[in-house]
Amino acid sequence: MPAYEFPGGIYPPERKARSNQSPLQAAPLPSQVTLPLKQHAGNPATPCVVVGENVNVGSLIAQRNGMISAHLHASISGTVTHVDDTAITIEADGLDRWETLPPLDWRTAAPAALLERLESSGLAGLGGAGFPTHIKAKVAEHNVIDTLVINAAECEPYITADDLTLRHYAADVLEGAQLIARLCGAQTIVIGIEDNKPEAISALTQALSQMQHPATIALKVIETRYPSGGERQLIKKVLNRDVPSGGLPADVGTLCHNPGTLLAAFHAVRDGKPLVERIVTLTGDAISRPGNVWVRLGTPVASLLKGAGLDPHQLHQVIVGGPMMGTPLTTLDTPVTKTTNCLIAATLAELPPAPVESPCIRCGACELVCPAQLLPQQLHWYARAESDSTLETLNLFDCIECGACSFVCPSFIPLVEDYRSAKQRIRLKQIESAKAEHAKHRFEFRQARIAREDAEKKARRQARLAHTQKSAPSSAGDDAAPEADLRSLRIAQTAAKAAVKKAEKVLARAAEQAPKQRFEDLETQLATAQENLKAAEARLAEARANATQKDSTI
Amino acid sequence: MSMMHASQVGAAPSTAHLMRWVIVATLPGIAAMTYYFGLGVISNVLLAGLLAVGAEALIMTLRQRPVRPALQDSSALLTGVLLGISLPPASPWWLIAVGVLAAVVVAKQLYGGLGHNPFNPAMVGYALLLVSFPTYMTLWAPPQPLSIETLFSPTLWAQIIGMLPPTALDALSGATPLDTFKHKGEAVLASEFWASQPLPEGTLSAWRNVALAWLAGGLALIAKRIISWHIPVAMLSSMTLLAALFYASDPSHFASPLFHLLTGATLFGAFFIATDPVSAATSQRGKLIYGVGIGVLVIIIRTLGGYPDAVAFAVLLMNVCVPLLDLYTVPRPNSHYNAAAQSKPSKPL
Ligand code: SF4
Ligand code: SF4
Repeated sequence: MPAYEFPGGIYPPERKARSNQSPLQAAPLPSQVTLPLKQHAGNPATPCVVVGENVNVGSLIAQRNGMISAHLHASISGTVTHVDDTAITIEADGLDRWETLPPLDWRTAAPAALLERLESSGLAGLGGAGFPTHIKAKVAEHNVIDTLVINAAECEPYITADDLTLRHYAADVLEGAQLIARLCGAQTIVIGIEDNKPEAISALTQALSQMQHPATIALKVIETRYPSGGERQLIKKVLNRDVPSGGLPADVGTLCHNPGTLLAAFHAVRDGKPLVERIVTLTGDAISRPGNVWVRLGTPVASLLKGAGLDPHQLHQVIVGGPMMGTPLTTLDTPVTKTTNCLIAATLAELPPAPVESPCIRCGACELVCPAQLLPQQLHWYARAESDSTLETLNLFDCIECGACSFVCPSFIPLVEDYRSAKQRIRLKQIESAKAEHAKHRFEFRQARIAREDAEKKARRQARLAHTQKSAPSSAGDDAAPEADLRSLRIAQTAAKAAVKKAEKVLARAAEQAPKQRFEDLETQLATAQENLKAAEARLAEARANATQKDSTI
Repeated sequence: MSMMHASQVGAAPSTAHLMRWVIVATLPGIAAMTYYFGLGVISNVLLAGLLAVGAEALIMTLRQRPVRPALQDSSALLTGVLLGISLPPASPWWLIAVGVLAAVVVAKQLYGGLGHNPFNPAMVGYALLLVSFPTYMTLWAPPQPLSIETLFSPTLWAQIIGMLPPTALDALSGATPLDTFKHKGEAVLASEFWASQPLPEGTLSAWRNVALAWLAGGLALIAKRIISWHIPVAMLSSMTLLAALFYASDPSHFASPLFHLLTGATLFGAFFIATDPVSAATSQRGKLIYGVGIGVLVIIIRTLGGYPDAVAFAVLLMNVCVPLLDLYTVPRPNSHYNAAAQSKPSKPL
């Protein structure tokens, strides 16, 4: 089996055995959940429930807002007790009543229906960035996708959620992959998995042997090396394709999904189950019963860890995600979200804070391990000097923030933090300079909305008129040349459609490249294009009504 | 924020560890030198090490920077040790002090401290002493195995405290093999030169054994991944190649490659001096070019230049080139190379 190399990489201790020994279980139902409105890339969702309302598991409680956004559903049945700009709280009634959508068969259902299902189920990538799944599936509208890569590498230490997902649901994950492959037109599916998950590999092999279309799915077992689960690294490793700098996997005909997302997609289609729960790894030396559990979204971390036997005296810090790229929690009141894949309750001895930083000795260790082939040391130097233009020529934005460089730095320089804050600063600057532009775009949007409302009003009036005046002939000369008008309006409508598509594409790309950002300006531009389209459609409708009215009068 | 550090999980050393490991790796070489050149080697190393730490503490205080972390990283100690090793055994304290001040204060701290010095501090100290005090810097007595007499010879003490009467100076000064060969005279053929037994008995084998001790320490550093192989291998192979070319062109006048490798500071320099990460090139390609450059310069200066040993000057000269090397050996990410070349399926809007 051919395996290609991505450059760099490190071999941190895996520490997976602690959580991959016990069977997958369901966490106890929480008595209360807090569901943040932003659990995905893009804009926060907009609440559509009020305090006091009763909801079932799977009831829609917040609607997506803008293109890069995802719906949110109740994860327990009960009463809404709090709604604000950031989250919705639900008190459980203990009944666990479900509300599901009608089942679909992904083989026969229309692609539009499948896309619509992914969207209405609130699906977002369960790996980390939380990119809305239906938008990713729509990428095929702009790029030819020939291969879907299942990212089962799970290269971060500690995390075993994908491992357990595959052990238990290999067949479902593969069906989910076929579903997505069908949507984006991929002919081949490649599973990339590190060789430290023998049980998941055998589960996959077995599922593959029972698959109906096994020919299109290839299993590639790769060496265990961090960060082989980085999208670019994995694509290099299993397909030998280099995703261009500043580009997306789609640019080399590839789409990447992690097993959890595919499982959720399949369940959303087959069972009509919206995304209300996920598998979370609970691990770390400060808990006595580590393992993987099905957790309802919104469950507080504190109760989850307590259920796993947390020893508060031992606890030093809780990290969401892996020890390389994850973030430490400041409070245990935080809820589990769509992107929470792992909670590490670490003792001080287990993950001690980094020793005091000393000066860089230019040893070059960082450069040797950088999978993006950057010069971490130079980046560090220029990041601290705030030489932003040099940072860009050194390809700062190619940095995947994997932390391999910080890991090996003998001087304990928090290199990744330097890069993150430099990126932040550069983006802020760009936003600053884009502000005037944004004001202009907001103005254009308002104009477009007024024009649209106008056009629609007129269209409605015309329709009414056409209806009531069917028998009574109107005065001639109202519209001089309806034929020519109709044609130009049709052209305008087509152009407006193209403009919407283009704006969608630009926004989707930007959001996929930097999923943690917000894209108000691009969303505004898209909204403007949509208003224009609606206005064009209304005008067209009006002209058509006009024309039929004329016809009837002749 | 990354939480795991290699050193926390026992996978890689910290900067202080790196420095200490290099110091530990000098021990076989120091032992071999002590065996052949007497306790003066140890007095050099101790004095230089102590003075370097003192100088570092002093200047950190003056710069109003925390003193402890600077001393804890052991980089000043290492600079002192390396300088002490390079000096003729039992050098007087003031000579060592001048060298240490040049190394730690001027070459390192005035440039901004650890990590910022463009030149190898120990070699700056050494070069300064070599041009300022040439007499003292050639006081290499002929090697002889350690014995009671050499241990407690009255001159050793007088020499260290810098009170040596000038007459004793002459008696002490011997020449290194490189020196002797350099000054053999145009008319003398190499074969005649060696036949005349120009060096006291055992001199060559002593230098060779010391060189092998440095090699052992250096290989240990590579095995421990404290240094990478690039610079030593590049430097030694370019030296061998160039020396072989000279030798092949006229064996009666040029020294053999082996002579170049086994005498002088060649192996010590290749593993302990040229590999100083701070002043060396950083990228792998840069390191190879850097090493080759040092090797070529060493042979050229030795055969054509005025100084018998040339490692210090070669290293300093290549230090000058490092910014340029770093600039022109920036690795280009694959994602940039192949972006254009790759098939890029796309659909019109
Ligand atoms: S690993 Fe650390 S000390 Fe070494 S070159 Fe990189 S930043 Fe500098
Ligand atoms: S964090 Fe960035 S610079 Fe550091 S190794 Fe990873 S990609 Fe390279």
